Amino acid sequence: MESKEDDREPLSSKAEWSDVIPLPQDDGPNPVVPIAYKEEFRETMDYFRAIYQADERSPRALRLTRRAILLNPGNYTVWHFRRLVLQALNVDLDEELDFLQQIANSNSKNYQLWHHRRWVVERLGTDAKAKELQLTKEILSLDAKNYHAWSHRQWVLQALGGWEDELDYCQQILEEDIYNNSAWNQRYFVVTRSPFLGGLKAVRVSEVRYTVDAILAKPDNESPWRYLRGLYRDDTEALVNDSQVSLVCLKVINTKSNYVFALSMLLDLLSYGFQPSQEFRDALDALWTSDSHPLDSDLAKAICYILEHVDSLRASYWIWRKSKLPLAG
Amino acid sequence: MAMKEWKPSDFGVEEEDEEETPSPPSSITSPSSPLPYFDRDRHVAFLEMMYNLMPYHYQSQEINRLTLAFFTISGLHLLQALDRVDKDRVANWVLSFQAHPRSKAEVKDGQFFGFHGSRTSQFPPDENGVSAHNAGHLASTYCALAILKTVGFSLSTIDKESILISMRNLQWPDGSFMPLHVGAETDLRFVYCAAAICFMLEDWSGMDREKAKEYILNCQSYDGGFGLMPGLESHGGGTYCAVASLRLMGYIEDDLSKKASSSIINVPLLLDWIVQRQATDGGFQGRANKSSDTCYAFWVGAVLRILGGYKFIDKTALRKFLLTCQSEFGGFSKYPGELPDIYHSYYGYTAFSLLEETGLNPLCAELGMTDLAALGII
Repeated sequence: MESKEDDREPLSSKAEWSDVIPLPQDDGPNPVVPIAYKEEFRETMDYFRAIYQADERSPRALRLTRRAILLNPGNYTVWHFRRLVLQALNVDLDEELDFLQQIANSNSKNYQLWHHRRWVVERLGTDAKAKELQLTKEILSLDAKNYHAWSHRQWVLQALGGWEDELDYCQQILEEDIYNNSAWNQRYFVVTRSPFLGGLKAVRVSEVRYTVDAILAKPDNESPWRYLRGLYRDDTEALVNDSQVSLVCLKVINTKSNYVFALSMLLDLLSYGFQPSQEFRDALDALWTSDSHPLDSDLAKAICYILEHVDSLRASYWIWRKSKLPLAG
Repeated sequence: MAMKEWKPSDFGVEEEDEEETPSPPSSITSPSSPLPYFDRDRHVAFLEMMYNLMPYHYQSQEINRLTLAFFTISGLHLLQALDRVDKDRVANWVLSFQAHPRSKAEVKDGQFFGFHGSRTSQFPPDENGVSAHNAGHLASTYCALAILKTVGFSLSTIDKESILISMRNLQWPDGSFMPLHVGAETDLRFVYCAAAICFMLEDWSGMDREKAKEYILNCQSYDGGFGLMPGLESHGGGTYCAVASLRLMGYIEDDLSKKASSSIINVPLLLDWIVQRQATDGGFQGRANKSSDTCYAFWVGAVLRILGGYKFIDKTALRKFLLTCQSEFGGFSKYPGELPDIYHSYYGYTAFSLLEETGLNPLCAELGMTDLAALGII
């Protein structure tokens, strides 16, 4: 059983390690970017090298890999050797999950830790599903956008299941922060891949409704706008024909605030063949009144012109977009 | 000039970071007002210090020593200060990390005969000449080759064949790559490393390009950006790996000048997503609704450069943001007013090169190093 208390004592002072000759790092005669290792680090790695070279797969080796991992969680060699020792000793892998749980919070962005966890879970099978979903939930409660946690969650869903509750989970995260782009992405993942929802087209109507509500609540939120487009991925005709899409653009433009994404979406709709009613023209005219620079009669050009001015960081982009518009017939 | 002495008490809360860089303390007061110019001399001094000795905070990055060396040496080259480096010494040191097969048969047995990332994963063969611990790594190999090119070492003299043949062992049927033969995570980062390696070695036998292309295309998200794996959220780093790989492999060109329909990726959608990555503070974010971070000025900026869309950003605003991340000690930090680290410093330099800052060498966007090094001009 690994204990934490003796994790910081020098190994050279322990009787248990007296038979081992530590193997120093051979940096060579002219090392570049040498690092000013602390003594604890140097010593731990010297002992690790000795054990690794000797290929000793023992309980003390396991404890040593833990010590090395805590100092050096990115060292994939140490993690690899730990896996070899775990297998050789036939360790109860649920205990290994506990170990990972202990160090997860302070290493939540470490690729090796997550890879190791997947290796363990693959050996435990479906029983691990609940634990994995729970762990990622905990990590995400501290950092709702942790890329590794979301990635692990997607892996768990695909490997072990758990799809039934995932849409609710996304909803919960979005209720806490409607701007969380990771949660929107996860939502897309679920509606497109869940074996229980029937595929994107089956849920499209309700998803559009949900997204439109999110947009109207915070029209300056990029995420739902992208999501709305995504619901019609590779199907621009359907995008153009869904009146909910053009309608939400109109509504936002009419509020005369936070309308940049709305204009951008409308521009895209026009380029896909959307035929705007007079309301759209009126909305734009109400937005932008200037005698010295009257809006272009072509709606798309007028939109580009407005965006060039209100989204000035991207002025060059909007000017280019205007230049790419088809010439008026 | 005074270089800050980092005391253990400074080592505070670990910074949030998607790349595993050492954590400079985040609890530090901001400088009163940032310097209004790129302080090249201070950055050169910072890199020279790193070249000679890295502070203990970097010990947790020991396994990626070659990467640290790449940032330092390529950084000096970007700043036109490569004369600070002993090129022969560097070349010999880098070459010492290569894993060598004992026979032609060994090359096909599954191991990867690239470069180790550090001495921690490199062990001398036993008395029978058996090298039981080959940990050649794709990212380290990319860094090794990039450093060698930077110092003007001719790659024609190294054992390319072993690298290329054994590299195929790392590619999965879906086109993705793992970095090590003993297994590790697979994602776009290593597809990029593989493509860059083949490109630098001028030999595509190291990978199945078609399969890699398919994997990349599967990573394009509904919003036009690319996630690190299929299904994952679109991300500046993932998008760079995707687009740079496709460019290196020859599947895309300066796509803005072509019709949208002739590109294999949805360029208009990507373009709209990527120009939106410039935030109101002028900096670049890696994902929608996240904070601006120095390094995305490279990851995102380089994609725009590759596609021919760098002209769409607000360069003045970007420059202003980056200068708030410039450290008074030299180097760049992730966020304004924090302590610098070598990773954000390097990408700060590449970002300034993309901005065509005077006194910096031009950048090869798809290889992430100087044009001169990429072209083999010493």
